[in-house]
Amino acid sequence: MGAIAAGIAMAGAAIGGAIGDGILIAKMLEGMARQPELSGQLRGNMFIGVGLVEAMPIIAFVVALLVMNK
Amino acid sequence: MSIGGSNHTFTFLGLTFNAGNMISILLACLIVLALVYALSRHITMKPGKAQNILEYAVDFTNGIVGGSVSGEASKMLGLWGFSLFLFLLVANNMGLFLHIDVSGITYVKSPTSDPVVTMTLSLMTLTLAQFLGIRTLGYKKHFENYLKPFKIFIVVNLFEEFTNFLTLGLRLFGNILSGEMLLTMITGMATGGGPVMWIGMLPLELIWQGFSVFISCIQAYVFVTLSSVYISQKIEVEEV
Repeated sequence: MGAIAAGIAMAGAAIGGAIGDGILIAKMLEGMARQPELSGQLRGNMFIGVGLVEAMPIIAFVVALLVMNK
Repeated sequence: MSIGGSNHTFTFLGLTFNAGNMISILLACLIVLALVYALSRHITMKPGKAQNILEYAVDFTNGIVGGSVSGEASKMLGLWGFSLFLFLLVANNMGLFLHIDVSGITYVKSPTSDPVVTMTLSLMTLTLAQFLGIRTLGYKKHFENYLKPFKIFIVVNLFEEFTNFLTLGLRLFGNILSGEMLLTMITGMATGGGPVMWIGMLPLELIWQGFSVFISCIQAYVFVTLSSVYISQKIEVEEV
């Protein structure tokens, strides 16, 4: 049962993380195409955003590790 | 939690201490001290190479703190940001290069791969934010901020405090733990498989170590940025 729970947790984490990162980076590319002179700032802010968005999937990964062997 | 080695805990005066964490944190602090000490000899008006590196680092963290905290307070918080950023940079990357296991008990690892350490850092930041808020605004105004914009929002604001505390700590913990754990797994697969596996796992390990260094630096940056944002939220008076 623990393996199934870990699998479901990781599935949710992967889907959520991928969609979140995808939206963020798409918006950043759009902004870069509109105003190339802001590239540096946009890139820096994107990394901050990715760091924030990826927090939840990584916490789900830790939860998956906790229940894996139950 | 620790993967690839158990913890050696001992109690002293009723509190439980983890020897691995204590040694790792001490080692990280000593490395930061040695680094900054070595770079700060021979301060001249025209900076040499070592002084340039140090000035670039201080400017970088002043920029991070100044981006969220405005005005007078950013001068006060500049040194705090610099110390925190350097400590996190060294502590996050330490586990990728140094991991000492003596007969199954881990003595040196990345200190931030333990949730207790990262939650402590997060608690320190939020306590600092509360203290600075009360010192800048006074008791009445600081606690009145929880009732803004409507009285009922006190529930949302309290929940937000708690969530900030949890996610700030667990974000750092999760990133560093996943890096270390995957490294341990790759090494385990390599040592258990014979020479063919060694050659096969080598590029994988190199790529993953490079990616982990990148993630560690980003997480240190995100931690200091978010801490500055939380502090600035407490000490700024909103013009309604």
